[in-house]
Amino acid sequence: MGAFVQIQDVFKEFETEGKGAAPIPVIDGVSMEIREGEFVVYLGPSGCGKTTLMRIVGGLETATTGDVLLGGERVTGPDRRKGMVFQAYTSFPWLTVLQNIKFGTKYRDDIGEPERNQIANHYLRLVGLEDFADFYVNRISGGMRQRVAIARTLAAAPDILLMDEPFGALDAQTRDFLQEQLLEICRAERKAVIFVTHDVEEAVFLADRVFMFSARPARVIEEIDVNGAIGPERTADTKETDAFFHLRNHVRDLMRDQARAIA
Amino acid sequence: MSAPGQALGALVAYRGATGGRVNLTLGIAAFVLFIAVWYLIVFTGLVTERFLPYPGVVIGTMAQLLVTESFLNDVWISVARVWGAFLLSVVAAVPIGIWMSSYRIVGALVEPIVDFIRYLPVPALVPLLIIWFGIGEASKVAVLWMGTFFQLVLLIADDAKRIPREFVETGYTLGAKPRQITRSIVLPSMLPTMVDNLRITLGWCWTWIIVAEIVAANSGIGHYIWSMRRFLKTPEVMAGILVVGIIGLLTDQAVRIAHRRLFRYL
Repeated sequence: MGAFVQIQDVFKEFETEGKGAAPIPVIDGVSMEIREGEFVVYLGPSGCGKTTLMRIVGGLETATTGDVLLGGERVTGPDRRKGMVFQAYTSFPWLTVLQNIKFGTKYRDDIGEPERNQIANHYLRLVGLEDFADFYVNRISGGMRQRVAIARTLAAAPDILLMDEPFGALDAQTRDFLQEQLLEICRAERKAVIFVTHDVEEAVFLADRVFMFSARPARVIEEIDVNGAIGPERTADTKETDAFFHLRNHVRDLMRDQARAIA
Repeated sequence: MSAPGQALGALVAYRGATGGRVNLTLGIAAFVLFIAVWYLIVFTGLVTERFLPYPGVVIGTMAQLLVTESFLNDVWISVARVWGAFLLSVVAAVPIGIWMSSYRIVGALVEPIVDFIRYLPVPALVPLLIIWFGIGEASKVAVLWMGTFFQLVLLIADDAKRIPREFVETGYTLGAKPRQITRSIVLPSMLPTMVDNLRITLGWCWTWIIVAEIVAANSGIGHYIWSMRRFLKTPEVMAGILVVGIIGLLTDQAVRIAHRRLFRYL
């Protein structure tokens, strides 16, 4: 399969307020290609610019120079093709779980009302929230709210799923469970995913490939072929294998070096 | 500690938990105490009855007024003026406020001038508004509108601005256009705080309506209070004031109940 997402020599600077203040470089020349159906993780220390790069792919920010192509087309702004799941809870409190998921289909003009309901129910089941369909989201747990957000995003039928530390605010047990569920969902959906995190274990467990970023401004310091090292199969036991253990330690050392640079 | 002791402890604890029933009892107790003190002040002759009648007399006068057709007419006129002007304020403030928060250029243009106007004291505007609109209904509505619109538009703009940025970005990534985001995400998201702000603004209307009716009117509760003053009919004056308070209290409670019903999900 060919490249689905092409990131071409992206630089990004943030303008700063105040006279004579120099702009802050955030992304320092990043290029990469992502294949269709591939799960890519951006790993790097907090504030390094990895989220900004993902937001550029999503069209929510613009690169200072450089381009992002999605399916050969230049990204110029956000739309339904680039679905996004945030760390903050974004399920709408005035809607129930099922209504939230159905909201994902609201701006699709390729389908009618019966399909909207079908799709909403399909993703409700896929994230395992049938029993909570009519609950308002303020009545369910943080983990469930993120599952609602994921289901809603998928209901919009995006070409790529962008996830910005979606499990960052959750406790360890919930996070483990959601990681496994996310992999199952992705296997079913076969969509390209960019997943941003600063959690090494999460990165190695989820990814086909990990891109390790430097401290700000972000450069790719290493590309880790996780599938090559531990294979594409992932289960709860994967984390207990030697191969996983070695790879995780290697990535952790890379991460430590970068964290030291900013500590 | 015994149960009543514990309940008392919670009442006086810093930010302690409170219950609806206890709160209601305390609220009623405060009213009773207020009336008792009032009664004692008159009873002991601290203030002569001419200036401060007994609570019973005032309440009796009020009860009588509430079955007097001319007074009820005054009440009706004041209520109509308040709601008419309030709705005109809302109709203008909601779209402009949302617009201010949606587009930086609108906010930057409108906010300084709104900030300036809302510091102009409303009573000082009354003479000007009478010159412009005469002493008919238009000038009353204008006074109320001036007194509420400029405050409300900033509150609405603030409510709209406070919705999480991720909500708006979620809208974009689900394929919504700015207009659709405003209608289907921004509006429902800000609605609970907006209704609260509307409730507070409606309260201000009652301040300005009395000001307007005292200055220039031949009807309305404000006019009634002011005309009773000329004959030094203290019980009637106080009863008129009380009626305004009671209408305010009832409206406020009604909106609170509606708020709870509308926003069950909170």
